[in-house]
Amino acid sequence: MAIALDRSRALFATGLLVLLLTLANPSLVQLNGIPPCWVVLWLLPWAVVEGPVAGATAGIAMGLLLDALQGSNLSSVPVLALLGFWWGQFQTARRPLERSTTLGLLALLGTLLLNGSYALQLYGRAEFSRAAWQTTLAQTLLTALIAPLMCSLLVLFWRRISPQYLQPRSPQ
Amino acid sequence: MALRTNLKRLLNPRLLLASWPWLLLLAAFAVLRISKGALLLDFYAQATRPFWPGSAQQEWLQKAQRFEDQQRIALLEAKLQEQQQHQALQLQKGPWLTAAVISRNIQGWWQQLILGAGALEGIRVGAAVTAPGGLLGRVSSVTPSTARVLLLGDPSSRVAVELQGKRGQGILVGDGTSRPRLAFLDKDVEVLPGDVVITSPASTIFPANLIVGVVQKVNFEATPAPEALIQLSAPVKAIDWVRVR
Repeated sequence: MAIALDRSRALFATGLLVLLLTLANPSLVQLNGIPPCWVVLWLLPWAVVEGPVAGATAGIAMGLLLDALQGSNLSSVPVLALLGFWWGQFQTARRPLERSTTLGLLALLGTLLLNGSYALQLYGRAEFSRAAWQTTLAQTLLTALIAPLMCSLLVLFWRRISPQYLQPRSPQ
Repeated sequence: MALRTNLKRLLNPRLLLASWPWLLLLAAFAVLRISKGALLLDFYAQATRPFWPGSAQQEWLQKAQRFEDQQRIALLEAKLQEQQQHQALQLQKGPWLTAAVISRNIQGWWQQLILGAGALEGIRVGAAVTAPGGLLGRVSSVTPSTARVLLLGDPSSRVAVELQGKRGQGILVGDGTSRPRLAFLDKDVEVLPGDVVITSPASTIFPANLIVGVVQKVNFEATPAPEALIQLSAPVKAIDWVRVR
């Protein structure tokens, strides 16, 4: 129980950090004025450690919060739920995800999908963004660049406090 | 040999001393050259004074000047009256509030600012937000202590504007960049790069005559009416405080 509480506290704390980073939009971590997709960097490690259900739930929750932060009525919920569910499938992956570039690739595809969904929604509303390609490319590149470093650390962190990865210590 | 002899003669001190009036004349010419003929022109003006045009034309010019002055006074009086009416309207609507920008999202899929003042300070949804330079956008939602500003470049932003001098009306359509598109309503519009764009009196959201930006590029081939790219005049990247009303 104590472990679960710690995990949920850590989840809330990191989620809050994602929201703060999205709002603050620090200029130090930008490519051509575009920030990385913080939510992808947060959701990916959580989902690959905790599985599809926890991933999809976290995706929906964070999607709702992110949608609340912007006034354009573009929704990130469906794609984040889908991504959380998809990335959750890697929970049982045999390969050690944190040591490979797979995390970077997954983050790249996730950011592409999220940006694509924004573009589709704008298209559906007969609006368009002339900087759509530029935004997508910059955000995807930056997120994929940061992901192997940040996500692998977060994967290790979530595994350390996840009950399913805790092994009983053998008596010496 | 001949050259040397000639040079010797030229540089002969006795000859130089003897020809001092010519040297003085040369120096005077040099002064004239440097002054672009100022002395010469003054001399010409004084010398030709008896032949100058008669006073009739001078009187005409003075009359025209008086007429122009009267016109200017009438124009200024009209402007003053307009300004007074505008000021009275402004007083009715309440004063401008200042607010700090606490979050800035000016590139990407949505373009918005979050201000550190909200409903408690009197900011209402739909209020115009300006900064030194011109219009930034409008308040799209408020909380007790914050206000969200939809910037003019946001893909969902639509603002009624016109060219200064009432030469053409149109809709400023945000397209995700810092240079929104102005879609003119009229096909025959006289627009040139450099024309100033202001908010239209037809707008029900914004006060009239707020400066929005400058026409940067015009596409006369666009259908059904010409379109222009507008360089916004308020530097949204650098602004930390805005005015709201």
